[in-house]
Amino acid sequence: MAEARTDSLRIVDGYRLDKPRRDALVPGGVLRDREGRTRQLPRYFYEVESWDAAVEHELAPHFHMWEFIHTDVREAPPLRFFPRHVPCAVVLTAALLERFRDIVGEPVRIAANGGYRSPQHALTSHASTHCWASAVNIYRIGDEYLDARDRIEHYADIAREALPGAWIRPVGEDRGFADDHLHIDFGYLVAVPHDAPGDPYNPKLEGDPL
Amino acid sequence: MSLPSALNRDRAPSLPSNLDALRSRIESIAQKSNARAVGVALHDTETGVELRYEADRWFHGASTIKVAILLAVYGEIDSGRLVPQSRLHVRNRFLSAYDGSPFRVLADRDADSEVHAAIGKTMRVNELALHMIATSSNLATNLLLDLIGLDAVQRTIDRFGLTGLDVKRGVEDERAFQHGIINRVTADGLVALLGLIAEERAYSPQLSREMLDILHQQEFKKGIPARLPREVRVAHKTGDISTVAHDAGVVYAPGRKPYVIAILTEWSPDAGHRSSTIASLSHAVYEHLRGAPEHG
Repeated sequence: MAEARTDSLRIVDGYRLDKPRRDALVPGGVLRDREGRTRQLPRYFYEVESWDAAVEHELAPHFHMWEFIHTDVREAPPLRFFPRHVPCAVVLTAALLERFRDIVGEPVRIAANGGYRSPQHALTSHASTHCWASAVNIYRIGDEYLDARDRIEHYADIAREALPGAWIRPVGEDRGFADDHLHIDFGYLVAVPHDAPGDPYNPKLEGDPL
Repeated sequence: MSLPSALNRDRAPSLPSNLDALRSRIESIAQKSNARAVGVALHDTETGVELRYEADRWFHGASTIKVAILLAVYGEIDSGRLVPQSRLHVRNRFLSAYDGSPFRVLADRDADSEVHAAIGKTMRVNELALHMIATSSNLATNLLLDLIGLDAVQRTIDRFGLTGLDVKRGVEDERAFQHGIINRVTADGLVALLGLIAEERAYSPQLSREMLDILHQQEFKKGIPARLPREVRVAHKTGDISTVAHDAGVVYAPGRKPYVIAILTEWSPDAGHRSSTIASLSHAVYEHLRGAPEHG
């Protein structure tokens, strides 16, 4: 298997994972967003060998890997067991969240199912940016639960100011809105670390972005 | 009146004279209580005695419907779709059975704060099942129901041929309640349901025992167990809202097989003596089955 190690986590090419995991992660596959546009899924993943490793692995001073892979029984069955795989963009998401955390000055808690979710997760609909590990659902900041409009909007304003380019889900009860968490998302972020494996260069594909 | 379909009908018939005495006693307690309605069903696995007093009358189910949800959750475990250790996101947001609008379980109306404290995190299915029964957590109930779906509960009810159980929505779904969508039970229905579990016919003896273990951890003991001797163990589920108070369970007295009993009561909202009425009815049945003279 083509692989490399970056900062103690192995980077794997999703194409070379076993079939059950490939079917669940859909590396390099496409999802349709709500407007009917094609969004290409990440191909490279960090491999997390155990829950202990996820708890120990620091992605940013106040964020650890476990917070981004804490899913429940709705996750696809092959992905409920270790080793787990999370798109490499998770490190960028953590770095951006760290900036937000610095500004609010309080612990920022990501909800279960609110970090990375696979395309086969039962809660995934359309091209959810959770499938890119580039979105988080924050349910609590410090001692405040984000389950009321004023509290969510307060922190949404801070996030917009602190994180240019971030998209915040509007507050509301209907589909496409959030009323019990703050959804911050950095778009369809794909990271290919320097050490990531890859295909040999093929000049015939030059100019073809996909 | 027909017998509960899931009860074992091969047992010896009960003695009418004995049952007449018990029925009179139940009637007397019911009349003195000022309850609007009382329903009692009894199935004794030791003697085969079955007693039915207004046992096919429908009552608001209150929290007794959680036993049907427990059975359905274990159905998912039996089928392999869940394992008891499956983790579930604790989220206080549910959709009304009436129109799909969101609602929440109010923490100050829930008997259990532990599940609320886990919001945002995960809890195991078996932990939630325990909270749903032992402390009657409404949040745990809605989480489990949301996970398996109302259809799964209905499939379970159908699978075992149970009648007298009508599970239409989660708990605290006020919008559904206002539009007449309520969970209902009969005493017959609850006895049939608990009989399945007590006789270890619910999926497998192992899973039946696991459900019984959960029911044995009931923390609200002012109903069926209240006036029974200390050595008598009861695996049960209570249900209590402003207009009804119920208790249904399996009673294990030393030296005999258990009996299954459901006591359902309906009241005006300001009425008292609910639990003591259930306890008196339970005591009367216990005394009757052990052949002892009954005391008021």
